Amino acid sequence: MATTTLTPAASAYRTGLYEWLTTTDHKRIGILYIVNSFIFFFIGGLFALGVRTELAQPGLQFVHDELLYNQLFTMHGTVMIFLFIIPMLVGFGNYVAPLQIGAPDMAFPRINALSFWMLPLAGVLLLMGFLTGGAAQAGWTSYSPLAQDRPLSSTGPGEDLWIMALTLIGTSSILGGINFLVTIFKMRAPGMTMFRMPILVWTVLVTSVLVVMATPVLTSALIMLFIDRNYGGHFFDPGGPNGGGGSAILWQNVFWFYSHPAVYIMVLPAMGMISEILPVFSRKPLFGYKAFVFATAGIGALGFSVWAHHMFTTGQVFLPFFSLMTFLIAVPTGVKMFNWIFTLFRGKLTFSTPLLFALGFLSMFLIGGINGAFSAAVPVDFALQDTYWVVAHLHYVLFGGSVFGVMAGLYYWFPKMTGRMLNETLGKIQFVLMFVGFNLTFFPMHQLGLAGMPRRIADYASDAGWNDLNLAATIGGFTIAASTLPLIWNVFSSLRAGKPAGDDPWEANTLEWATSSPPPPYNFDHLPEIRSERPLFDLRHGRTVVH
Amino acid sequence: MSTAPRSRPSSLAIAGWLVAAAFGIALAAWVVLNAGTIWNSFFPPQAKSVEGQEIRNLYDIVFIFAVVIFAVVEGLIIWSVIRYRRKPGDDELPPQTHGNNLAEITWTLIPTVIVLFLFVVSWQTLNSVEAVSPDPGLKVRAVAGQFQWSFDYLPTDATGDTKALFTVTAPVGPDGGLVLPAGQVTHLYLKSPDVIHAFYVPQFLFKRDVVPGLTNQFDLDIPASDAGQTYRGQCAELCGVGHRIMLFEVHALAQADFKAWMDKQIAAANATPPPAPSGAAAGPSIPLVAQNVKFDQSTLTVPATGFTIHYDNKDAGTPHDFVILDNAGSKVYGSPVVTGPKGADFPVPAIAAGTYKFECSIHPTLMFGTLTVQ
Ligand code: HEM
Ligand SMILES: [Cu+2]
Repeated sequence: MATTTLTPAASAYRTGLYEWLTTTDHKRIGILYIVNSFIFFFIGGLFALGVRTELAQPGLQFVHDELLYNQLFTMHGTVMIFLFIIPMLVGFGNYVAPLQIGAPDMAFPRINALSFWMLPLAGVLLLMGFLTGGAAQAGWTSYSPLAQDRPLSSTGPGEDLWIMALTLIGTSSILGGINFLVTIFKMRAPGMTMFRMPILVWTVLVTSVLVVMATPVLTSALIMLFIDRNYGGHFFDPGGPNGGGGSAILWQNVFWFYSHPAVYIMVLPAMGMISEILPVFSRKPLFGYKAFVFATAGIGALGFSVWAHHMFTTGQVFLPFFSLMTFLIAVPTGVKMFNWIFTLFRGKLTFSTPLLFALGFLSMFLIGGINGAFSAAVPVDFALQDTYWVVAHLHYVLFGGSVFGVMAGLYYWFPKMTGRMLNETLGKIQFVLMFVGFNLTFFPMHQLGLAGMPRRIADYASDAGWNDLNLAATIGGFTIAASTLPLIWNVFSSLRAGKPAGDDPWEANTLEWATSSPPPPYNFDHLPEIRSERPLFDLRHGRTVVH
Repeated sequence: MSTAPRSRPSSLAIAGWLVAAAFGIALAAWVVLNAGTIWNSFFPPQAKSVEGQEIRNLYDIVFIFAVVIFAVVEGLIIWSVIRYRRKPGDDELPPQTHGNNLAEITWTLIPTVIVLFLFVVSWQTLNSVEAVSPDPGLKVRAVAGQFQWSFDYLPTDATGDTKALFTVTAPVGPDGGLVLPAGQVTHLYLKSPDVIHAFYVPQFLFKRDVVPGLTNQFDLDIPASDAGQTYRGQCAELCGVGHRIMLFEVHALAQADFKAWMDKQIAAANATPPPAPSGAAAGPSIPLVAQNVKFDQSTLTVPATGFTIHYDNKDAGTPHDFVILDNAGSKVYGSPVVTGPKGADFPVPAIAAGTYKFECSIHPTLMFGTLTVQ
């Protein structure tokens, strides 16, 4: 085995604030991304609790100002997507991908630091809306003309701050995407051919291609919206007090041209993490490695031709084409699902917390994928679009999928990042609370949507028959909130007194486990020979030699 | 694995299993007792339009596939999890299967066939839901503005922009709403003067966006057997602070009743309008400003001998009015609608002393206050 540290080398990571603020080490930047994203997860979660508290019963009890309610769900969606889940996955990619390909760092370490530091700045800008007369309130989709600067729509600086924040985050993503692409193409260790790369690296690669192709489209749309609002442009404004000429539908097209691929940006790396964890805890290789790579690339490619399935009810898109493409994208997703299951099949499963969360991912993402098929059937989507069904669907994918994946990844890589194990009992308590709370919150939303409850409303008629399901969802929301307490406790207590991890606590397969925990600057003293996608497995079972 | 497997489960784990078992039993009992309601909650409401019925049939097909696929895949997951646990002390590697091309081809092809099938059936349904009749019995233009609906009834040779025969301005209530003939096809045009809204009636299983700058249209066909029914509709696309109050009703009338209603509305619209109330202001003038869909006052105190509301609507393009309601909620006074920016004087006749509620009947949840008559 490679280097072995007797005491966890945590001390290297406790050197001064200045070191953290100026670091260009991909591992520290990765940790910064992860910590920053968790902070925004809690902020976004508080907004969601505000929404759920208001909806617990009919009537306005909690958020008396309905404008504030609109700000809450807008900020919830925006924060969760742009400041939590996307950066969180970038953080894991940043930490793990260079290690997994045996590289000393990212290709452009300073640009890496720049990409990160744009995010807290963007977050502050975004939240400043609350202090300047109201944050953005047009939904995370910010449809025009509601996002225009006119009475009863989006007056005030909140929406402008939203635009600036998203432009910054977009720029950060583009820089990060290019950085990942160059790193993965140019900095692989000798022997690490493309088809020996860990699946996580493949998903980061495909995600980066999506980022580089799609994000500029969003960024330019944001600038056009800014011009509309501030300099009398008419890109997206068909009417209004000053006459029009713009198109409300155009905004939706460009917005979703980014934001649908963004859905894969939000989930592919989480799939990659699951694909690292399932083999390790079943003690088998990933079933169908190449099929998995092709399915990932297929999702990436098809992902650019389904954007208008968010616009079926606009009456302004060619429905059969987008319906067909949307149905087809289920195929590569299904391939992945079967590959994961057949990785478990005939394995020897150890139910540590990372595996529990990974199994949670499989089950919940399955529901999120299946209920997506309802929306692909266009006429059914006519019934479901913009109801709570969609809220259920998106959370089964983004929470049941991505967030469970992130939790699995956190329990899996925390020992590598800190040299300490997280506590298993606390991990299991967190898993049970989160799994139960998640389903209690979001499953009833399917039924609410079928019963006709629209999303984005602060109140509903008490005789509509939606009371019990809403109450259940609110109780579930607070259960999710409770599940974060064992997590926080676990992280802080394990940092101080967790069990030392050693280099390779899980008997894992990939290169990051061939160096110390945490790894030294520039990562490796020497690398094992790379003969397959599982160099450490080969090493452990004597199929290769250390140079 | 580095940790040695524990021989005895901890008391915490036992407590956990007991709690889980208790919950499981309670949940199972609850599911059995409410099986019918729960089952129904997985389906949209019973469809009340011909198009909605077709959508419901499609939903049922997709639902069956969804349930079967979920059961198979989830079953595989659960079975693998139960069957392939690692036994304590077992250090042998399981067989290192790297994949199987036949399996990959199978689970690529079977899902492809399933989704193609679902695509074809949904395309067929789509074509018939989207089809428009060459000679609909009625044409109505639904106008959605922040934050109310109104319905323009059009001549049958109309296109989307034709002048209305008459307009129903109240979106709900016995005198308002979208009144339609059951048993006849209605062609709807959708228009918005401001932001995007969506026409949504859950019982039609249908919604369509109302997009400013263009006109969407569709056919609605309520079966004759549903005459006399009322359905609730609601805006489904976020349109601002009053989004959730954009409610409307659809009243389905038997064809004879509908014709009578229509004739009455046309006659009323053609009748010479009654002389405008004399401008002479009665009693003191009470200023009231409507701005950003809010009144500037939440309490007003007025004499019982009559008074004039000096009304100023500052919301460009948005209609407001002024209505007084007694404790029972019945209307004591109602002003005409004023679309801003515009002012108006509303002379209110004498009313009995007491406490009343005033509101804008278009935005009752946002614009209201207490009126004390002394
Ligand atoms: C902490 C647990 C969470 C709860 C209780 C929760 C709850 C909700 C609710 C009730 C809504 C609907 C608001 C409305 O339509 O009025 C909503 C919207 C949304 N949520 Fe969450 N959510 C949670 C976590 C997440 C996560 C982790 C993500 C993404 C990674 C997310 C992304 C979104 C998005 C994008 C929307 C749509 C916002 C919009 O309509 O503009 N949520 N959430
Ligand atoms: Cu609305």
